[in-house]
Amino acid sequence: MTTQYDATAAMEIVNASAPGAACVDEGVLYLEPDTLADSIRTLRDSDQSDLVFLSNLTAVDHELHFELVYHLQSLDLNHILQVKARISDREDPALPSLTGVYHGAHLQEREVFDLFGIRFEGHPDLRRMFLWDGFPGYPLRKDFLQMPGQVRAGLPGFPHESEENAWPVPGSVPQRPLHPNDPQPEGEIVVAEESEDPS
Amino acid sequence: MTMSDDTRLAMQGTIEALTAGDGSEPVVVNLGPQHPSTHGVFRLKVTLDGEIVQDAEMRIGYLHRSMEKLAEERSYTQNIPFTDRIDYLAAMSNNLAYCLAAEELLGVEVPPRAQAIRVMFAELQRVASHAMANGTFINDCGAWHTPLFHMFRDRERVLDMFEMTCGARLTTNYMRIGGVAFDLPDQLLPTLEQFLADMPENIANYEALLLENEILHARARGVGVISPEMAINSSLSGPVLRATGVPWDLRKANPYCGYESYEFDVPVGEQGDCFDRFLVRMTEVKQSLRILRQVVDTLPDGPYLADVPLHARPEPGESYARVESPRGELGFYLVSDGGPAPYRFHCRPPSLINLSALKEMSIGGTLADAIVTLGSIDIVVGEIDR
Repeated sequence: MTTQYDATAAMEIVNASAPGAACVDEGVLYLEPDTLADSIRTLRDSDQSDLVFLSNLTAVDHELHFELVYHLQSLDLNHILQVKARISDREDPALPSLTGVYHGAHLQEREVFDLFGIRFEGHPDLRRMFLWDGFPGYPLRKDFLQMPGQVRAGLPGFPHESEENAWPVPGSVPQRPLHPNDPQPEGEIVVAEESEDPS
Repeated sequence: MTMSDDTRLAMQGTIEALTAGDGSEPVVVNLGPQHPSTHGVFRLKVTLDGEIVQDAEMRIGYLHRSMEKLAEERSYTQNIPFTDRIDYLAAMSNNLAYCLAAEELLGVEVPPRAQAIRVMFAELQRVASHAMANGTFINDCGAWHTPLFHMFRDRERVLDMFEMTCGARLTTNYMRIGGVAFDLPDQLLPTLEQFLADMPENIANYEALLLENEILHARARGVGVISPEMAINSSLSGPVLRATGVPWDLRKANPYCGYESYEFDVPVGEQGDCFDRFLVRMTEVKQSLRILRQVVDTLPDGPYLADVPLHARPEPGESYARVESPRGELGFYLVSDGGPAPYRFHCRPPSLINLSALKEMSIGGTLADAIVTLGSIDIVVGEIDR
């Protein structure tokens, strides 16, 4: 059974080589963004942690800051460690790339760059991956595509829970402009008149 | 080194001698987005010097449906059908991985019968998915459709079992948070018994046809080789990793749904080439049948679905659950802010991450070898792009 690697032990390994580069908050290891790649390289090469396999790399937009989440796995010792890093700059968020530590970070960092707009310094080929160049904005950010009238995208609540969580009454939410492909309002639809029988 | 390897190296040497220093320019060839070898809308841009691949760059995103964004607007139960569409050749495994992550977040205990049914369908899905993977791989090697349709017979029977259980063949939407959607129908176990009785002979036929086949050896042995160190560093998983000799299987390493109570082996390869990946998949099908036999023999009675509210609001927190899908390590990372929908929904796609080393595997080989290598990785474009 895969065990959780102790975050405090990991913090001690990182801080032994770079003091102050890691801290533990509520059982989660946070790394300083500036020295992230070096800290994770230390965790990979240490015999105690032996975190040789990058299982997952993703980001979460917490509106005030971005949180980068790494899941690192040791295959021989069979433990997993969750590592996080926070960056608060929303204009040009950037942190060091892990491509020098794990080759497998290559595509996952490109995905985060594409969907969150977080730059990874030192990435050899940082381009958009799913979306085309020039796509406006970064879709997985929470402020992407604000609904009209400052209605947040998302599920407000379940209808049965309370009145304030109920689904909006039709008409109360400002409608976005109609797209030509949307069903047009009734009355404006031009119905072709039936032509007379040619015979 | 076999005779066919000698022949291949000699051919490469001839090609290199013909193209070296003659002032020729590299040619860029686009494989795809519509190409039979790419198994979907996937584009591989290769730079060729004669027949030798100098550079391989993939262009993806043609099937991007922004599932991770859509999932933030739907409740935890409403998100289950999305996971079918992520990997449409292994929908059961994707349902399972997502439900495990949601259950971890909600603190749900799954009844024993539901766990056994989940293992049964995850392994049936592995048989079906590996039939597809091996069939199309042989197709890429040049055996035009005959082995593929032999293997499709088996896959068809698995899909029939899915249909009689949950009404759907590909996008099953069968797992639920806390169990499965329906109990097993009466005719399923007899059908499965018949399937288990017939499969050993079918597999023996495939092995007799393919394992000693000289053309397959010439096309796949020593092609797309990757070392175990590079495979681990590139986060490869599943049959691609195990073909290099690393016995990493989450069903053994981190058992879920009671996999620890079933006996099975983890097949590994030796050389990490395309043939080993094919062989690992062939052997895994046999192990899946072994697990299925034990599941049928020890299927417990009881409820098939725990008492979980349809409209569940988990406590704020996060969960990361992984399963061994047919393609590798499939994970779901969910973040809850206490709301009715996930605050963040992330899928760790094995198909995408297994492509990390595609360039390294392809460079230096011929263009035809690159196509075999791509086929041996067994990608599903729906999962790459999501």
